[in-house]
Amino acid sequence: MSTKGLAWRADPLPKSVPTIAWVIGVLGFVTFAGIVAGVGRLVLGLQASTTLNDTVPWGIWIGFDFGLIAFAGAGFTMAAVVHVFNLERFHAALRPALLVGLLGYMGVLALLVLDLGRPDRFYHFILYWNLHSPLFEISWCVLLYTTVLVIEVSPDLLRHLKWRWPLQVVKWIMLPVTIIGVTLSTLHQSTLGTLYLNMPHRLHPLWYTPILPILFYVSSIMAGLSLGILAYKLAARIQGFKEDPRVVTGLGTGVMWVALLYVALKVGELIWAGELGLLAGGQMGWLWGAEVVLGALLPAIMWSRRSWREQPLVQWVAPLLMLGGVLLNRFSATLFAQLFPADMEPYTPHLLEWLSTIGVLAGVALAWLLAVRFLINREPNTH
Amino acid sequence: MMQPTASPTQPCNLTRRAFVKQAGLGAAAIAASTLLADAQSAAANSEPTPAAEDLAVGVMIDLTRCNGCQSCALACKVANRMPQPETVPTKLDSSALSFVDTRQNAAGEAVFVKRQCMNCVHPACVSACTVGALRKTAEGPVTYESSKCIGCRYCQYACPFGVPAYEWDNVFGLISKCQMCFQRVAVGQQPACVAACPNGALHFGKRQALVAQAHALIESMPDRYIDHVYGEHEVGGTSMLYLSAIPFTSLGFPALGDASISRYAEAVMQMTPAVAVTVASLATGIHLLLRRRQRVAEFTFQHEQAKDHLETESKRLDPRTPE
Repeated sequence: MSTKGLAWRADPLPKSVPTIAWVIGVLGFVTFAGIVAGVGRLVLGLQASTTLNDTVPWGIWIGFDFGLIAFAGAGFTMAAVVHVFNLERFHAALRPALLVGLLGYMGVLALLVLDLGRPDRFYHFILYWNLHSPLFEISWCVLLYTTVLVIEVSPDLLRHLKWRWPLQVVKWIMLPVTIIGVTLSTLHQSTLGTLYLNMPHRLHPLWYTPILPILFYVSSIMAGLSLGILAYKLAARIQGFKEDPRVVTGLGTGVMWVALLYVALKVGELIWAGELGLLAGGQMGWLWGAEVVLGALLPAIMWSRRSWREQPLVQWVAPLLMLGGVLLNRFSATLFAQLFPADMEPYTPHLLEWLSTIGVLAGVALAWLLAVRFLINREPNTH
Repeated sequence: MMQPTASPTQPCNLTRRAFVKQAGLGAAAIAASTLLADAQSAAANSEPTPAAEDLAVGVMIDLTRCNGCQSCALACKVANRMPQPETVPTKLDSSALSFVDTRQNAAGEAVFVKRQCMNCVHPACVSACTVGALRKTAEGPVTYESSKCIGCRYCQYACPFGVPAYEWDNVFGLISKCQMCFQRVAVGQQPACVAACPNGALHFGKRQALVAQAHALIESMPDRYIDHVYGEHEVGGTSMLYLSAIPFTSLGFPALGDASISRYAEAVMQMTPAVAVTVASLATGIHLLLRRRQRVAEFTFQHEQAKDHLETESKRLDPRTPE
C-alpha cells in the first residue's frame, strides 16, 4: 500500500476536464426548490402538500425512496467485489461507488422524513421494537449501514484533513466493517421485498410471490453494479483520468450474470405458481414485460458479447436500462401493481411531492459530483 | 482468524483444502444451529395460545336484524371522544372508528352493514407495525398505542379490510381504528356499540361461543341466513363475526382465504439472524480463501523467479561451464 495517500493534496486538474459549473448551477437550483417544498410539507402537513389518502397511503416519496435504496446498493456491491472477492483490479471504481452509497442513503433519509406522518418521532424504532416488522428491521439496518458507509468513505476525508491516527484505525477495521456492511445490506435489501409479503390481498399476483425477498436482493445487486459502472465512468470524466476499459467490461460481465439470474427467477416463479397466463392479461402483462425484458434481459444481452460491451453505447445504455427496470419494479410494487378499487381516482402526485422528490435526488447528485470533484483522491490506485 | 503462515523456509501447516473444510463446516454449523433455534423459538405475538383462545371475546353482528338506526355508530363516537359526535359517519376515517354502510340486495332493498376493525386473531397490522404500536391482547381486542405511532402507514397496507385511517389533515397526524372498547371489556362491560344496539343485532361474548351460536342460528333458520359466518376463518379468523341474508362480497366484504396475511413475512423475518450469520461467515470465508490463494500465487511466482535466478547465476559461476 502506498504511503502517498497520507500526504495527499489536491492536484490541479488538467485543462481538458470539462467545466461542470452549469450542471452544478442547475442541480443547485433544483435542490433549493426541493428544500423549500420540503419545508412546505413539514409546515403544512400531508393533506395540503400531497394527494395521498387512506386508499393510496404511499406515493412517489416511497417509490423513489425504495428505488434509491436499491441504487445506493452500489456501495455494498462494489465493496464486495473489491474487498470480499479480492478483485483489486476494480479498486478504481470503489470510491465513487461508496460515495453513491453514502449520499444515496442520506437521500433515503430525507425522503423518509418527508413521508413519515410524524417525522418528529423518526427515532421511535430505536425505543420501541417489533421484531416481526420488516420496516423495523429495515430502519435499524439503514441506521447501522449508514454508519458503516461513513466509516468506509472516511479515508478520503481523513486524508484531506491529514488526521493520521484516525486514518490508521479506520484502515485496521476496514475489512470487518466491510463484511458487516455487506451483511447489513443483504438483510435490508431483501427485507424490502419481505415488506410486500404482507400484501397478498393487494399486490398483483404477477409481482406477489414468496420469493420477493430474493428478487429484491438480486435486483439490488443488479442496480448496484450498474450504478457502480456509471459512477466510475462519470468519475473518470470529472477527475480527468483515463477509464480502464477492463473495469467496465469486467463489471458488465458480472452484472450480466446477475440480470440473467433475475430473469430466470422472475419467469421461474410464474411457472412454478402457474401464473404465466396472467402475462396475457393486458396492462399488467406489459408492465411486467417492460420491467423484465427491457430492464434486465435486453441489457444482459447487450453485455453478452465482448465486441458489444466494449462499445460506449452499451456501457452507458445498459446500466441505465437496468436502473430504470429496478426503479420501475419498486414503483410497480408500491403503486402500479397495487390492486386499488376500480372506481378510485388515480393518484397524481401533488406539485410539492414532485418538487421535494426531485430536489432530494438533485441534491444527492450534486453532493456526489462535488465530492468526486473535490474530495476523493485523484489517483485511483492509492488505497 | 486462521492466518496461514507461509515463508520460503517454513512450509504452511494449513492446506487449502483443510481450511475450506473447516471454514465451511463452521459456517454450516452456525447457520444450522441458528435455524434450529429460530424454528423452535416462540411464535409471533399474534399467535393465540390455547388459553387465550378460551378467553378471547368477540362480537356477533347479525346483519338481518340491523335497520340502520346508527345508534352504534354514534355511541362509538361518544365512547371514543371523537370529533363531531352528532354527525353520522359515512366511512372509516380519522373522525369515525365505525360506521354503518348502506348496500342493496337483489330486490333493491337497503341492507345495512356495520363496519369497523375486525380485531383479527392473527392481525397483519400487529405484525407489520414498525414500532409495535398495534398489539393483540389475549382477551381479543387489537389495541393501538398512539404515543408510539410514527405515521408510517404500513398498517394501512397490511390490513386486508382497509381499516386503519390516517389523520391527513393534522400536521401531527396519527392512525386510528376501533379497539373493541378494550378498556370497557377489561372491566367486564360490553363494547359501546353492542350496548347501544336496540334491535339485538349485536351480541358480545366469548368468540368460540359466538361461533357456535352463529352456526346454530343458521341451522335453525336456513331461509334467513346464508350458510357462512364471515370472520370465522377469514385470514385466520376475526373477532367480529357476521351473519347475513346475502353473499358477503355483495356487501363490500373482501373475499379472503383462511391463511393469515402475515404468515410469509413472519417466516422470513424469523430467518433474519440465520441469514446474517450465514452471509457474514460466507463473506469472511470467501475473502480469506481468495486472499490466501492470491498470496500462494504470489509466493509461487516469487519462488519460481528466485529459482530461475539461482540457476542462471550458478551456471554463470560454474567453472566447468564453457564460456
